[in-house]
Amino acid sequence: MLSFRTRGYNGYAVQYSPYFDNKLAVATAANYGLVGNGRLFVLNIEPNGTISSPISWETQDGLFDIAWSEIHENQLTAASGDGSIKLFDLTVGEFPVMNWKEHTREVFSVNWNLVDKANFVSASWDGTIKIWSPQRAQSLLTLNPGSTDYTTRTSPLQQTAKPPMSHQQQHQGANTAQCIYNASFSPHSPSTLISCDGSSHVQIWDTRQPHPLQIDWVAHGGMETLSCDWNKYKSTIVASAGTDKSVRVWDLRMLTNIDQPQSQAPMPAYHIRGPTPLNQLLGHEFAVRKVQWSPHDSQELLSTSYDMTARVWRDESNDRARFLNMNNGGCKGVMGAHKEFVIGCDYSLWGEPGWAATTGWDEMVHVWDSKRL
Amino acid sequence: MERLNQLSGQLSPSSKQALLKKNPDDVVIVGAYRTALTRGGKGKFKDVGSDYILTAFLKEFVKKTGVDVNLIEDVAVGNVLNRSAGAFEHRGAALASGIPNTAAFVAINRQCSSGLMAVSDIANKIKTGEIDCGLAAGVESMSSNYGPQSLPKVSEQLQNDPEMQKCLIPMGITNENVVKKHNIPRSKQDAFAAASYQKAEKAVSSGAFKDEILPIESFLAEEDDDENVTWKSIVVDTDEGPRPGVTAESLGKLKPAFAKDGTTHAGNASQVSDGAAAVLLMRRSLAEQKGYKIEGKFVLCTSAGVPPEIMGIGPAVAIPRVLQKTGLKVSDVDVFEVNEAFAAQCLYSAESVNIPSEKLNIRGGAIALGHPLGATGARQYATILRLLKPGQIGLTSMCIGTGMGAASVLIKE
Repeated sequence: MLSFRTRGYNGYAVQYSPYFDNKLAVATAANYGLVGNGRLFVLNIEPNGTISSPISWETQDGLFDIAWSEIHENQLTAASGDGSIKLFDLTVGEFPVMNWKEHTREVFSVNWNLVDKANFVSASWDGTIKIWSPQRAQSLLTLNPGSTDYTTRTSPLQQTAKPPMSHQQQHQGANTAQCIYNASFSPHSPSTLISCDGSSHVQIWDTRQPHPLQIDWVAHGGMETLSCDWNKYKSTIVASAGTDKSVRVWDLRMLTNIDQPQSQAPMPAYHIRGPTPLNQLLGHEFAVRKVQWSPHDSQELLSTSYDMTARVWRDESNDRARFLNMNNGGCKGVMGAHKEFVIGCDYSLWGEPGWAATTGWDEMVHVWDSKRL
Repeated sequence: MERLNQLSGQLSPSSKQALLKKNPDDVVIVGAYRTALTRGGKGKFKDVGSDYILTAFLKEFVKKTGVDVNLIEDVAVGNVLNRSAGAFEHRGAALASGIPNTAAFVAINRQCSSGLMAVSDIANKIKTGEIDCGLAAGVESMSSNYGPQSLPKVSEQLQNDPEMQKCLIPMGITNENVVKKHNIPRSKQDAFAAASYQKAEKAVSSGAFKDEILPIESFLAEEDDDENVTWKSIVVDTDEGPRPGVTAESLGKLKPAFAKDGTTHAGNASQVSDGAAAVLLMRRSLAEQKGYKIEGKFVLCTSAGVPPEIMGIGPAVAIPRVLQKTGLKVSDVDVFEVNEAFAAQCLYSAESVNIPSEKLNIRGGAIALGHPLGATGARQYATILRLLKPGQIGLTSMCIGTGMGAASVLIKE
């Protein structure tokens, strides 16, 4: 295991460069991301096994996520707590080369489009998802799950036809019902996205459609959904993770209309449980902060949690027939090197499959082999 | 600060925090009241039946809560001693009290927990979406129905069956069995019973029950020399069970009632009483929409079986079960109302669950106040909601004849 300390800054996200097998970027925030500056580190894994940081940038507010550019080997974007998204260039020190400011609250995720590579998506606590091109100063498209018109523009959706929210503003100190924690492009289609929010929902979007929202379901029984990811091999399989401590695997083909809001019929108030997942992975002792499918194996996942562990899972569920599910899946390894909440993780695309990086509140970045836990 | 709140929301370290959250699909209590409990055969309800008590009480209940009766979709009434648990006369009583006949009705009998089962039944119907608003009540006229006629009839073929016989053991004997099995000295039982009397007496004399009791009119039959009956109207607004000056020493003089060498006597067992209680439940979204004041949130009710011959240990099994299912610890609960069918069984249950005595039956229990069987479960709701402060968690429980225990968790708002 290789390690690097982001001294004075608590890690929120880590990502391997898609261009260099020895480069990692880490988004961090001072004071546990509650208040204060952020810093974006770029790390080099040296041949002798040490990790160094050739460059880093300080920002006005904490950084919560990063996405390497898929078309420019030196560029990467970072999501900031002040609602801005910044584009940095490895050859330009000190300041970002681009700054987009449209979100009105914390931006919690940025993800590059893996198929057409020309744009990236951001998700924010202001309740919107925005698609951006590094070529343009304004966003290309804004998606808003909270006010989606499921029918036509002239007949707005009845309030009663919306799915029930378990976290309503009047009931809560911090209203996270609208908060989009994560949005990412499908690795199989340039126009399909997945997003998840604080009211337990997961949404599938197709930006080619006049009404982009395709599927919307309650994924974690009313608890917040903190992360979601596409399976890299099976285009209809996704995973979500939430504050109910579970990681759930879904087959989008199995989500029927009954699980989704309709314009004509109100969603019954008791319909808060949502549909049944293809598989559920239990083991984390606190909320699961991030889940990611392996780029090398269609059945392997990695998750990080507030229980100070990262876990490697095997999903043996069979998307063709649920009754064929094997019983030999489940937790395959627990990575316990972190001494605080583990927040960010990423699988290495390079070298021997199974290498991963994690970061968290203990100011540490660990690079480790998930096959040798 | 909002980021910190967000984070603590994601962590929610104990289930308590999650339960305290107010969600629109919660089952909430909009009102819980009771009648005064009167002494069986001697009290102010002695000449009227359970149907009359229920009618008069529900009329006052509707007036007091100000509920639109057309919202009520189901009425569940717990009762133990009436024939068929009062399915006929209590439906009639509900209609007579002004609840429209569009509201459904169900009579519920799970012995001493019937009132709680009515609450649970209505709450579960709201949870599943079957109804949005329902009335749960319990009523018992032990004056009219307690006695040999309430004994069960058993087929000849089963009369010697050991399991059947266990279910026919008189309740007092089951308590003696608990006493023997767990070695509970009479002095301890009498001290517990005396404390119940003292707490109840203090509560009555200080007017602590004024808020939960709805005064209703009752009638006493007065026969003149020619056996003509005239009905004399009286107001029932005060519990008749508690009496001043009861001490462990004074109870120590009483003779055992069930066995010569026994320890259970009239002073450390629950009283025979008449009375009614009701709880109005709604889905939170409806209550907020209609603007009713929310008194509390119903969380969960569970029942558990125990051996019939020691049925008094029911709460010792049911309380851990409801706590386990809600993810709460004993220390999370602020007030316990555990029915005092007998001092020994209540004492044993409380000790085995580790309930601190200052949290248990703060205003006395059935030993002093009385135990109108079918009403008790709903009566505990009326009492506990006045003992809890907003945000506190309460637990009600009781043992159940033929070997069961039930327990429920609620939160004051």
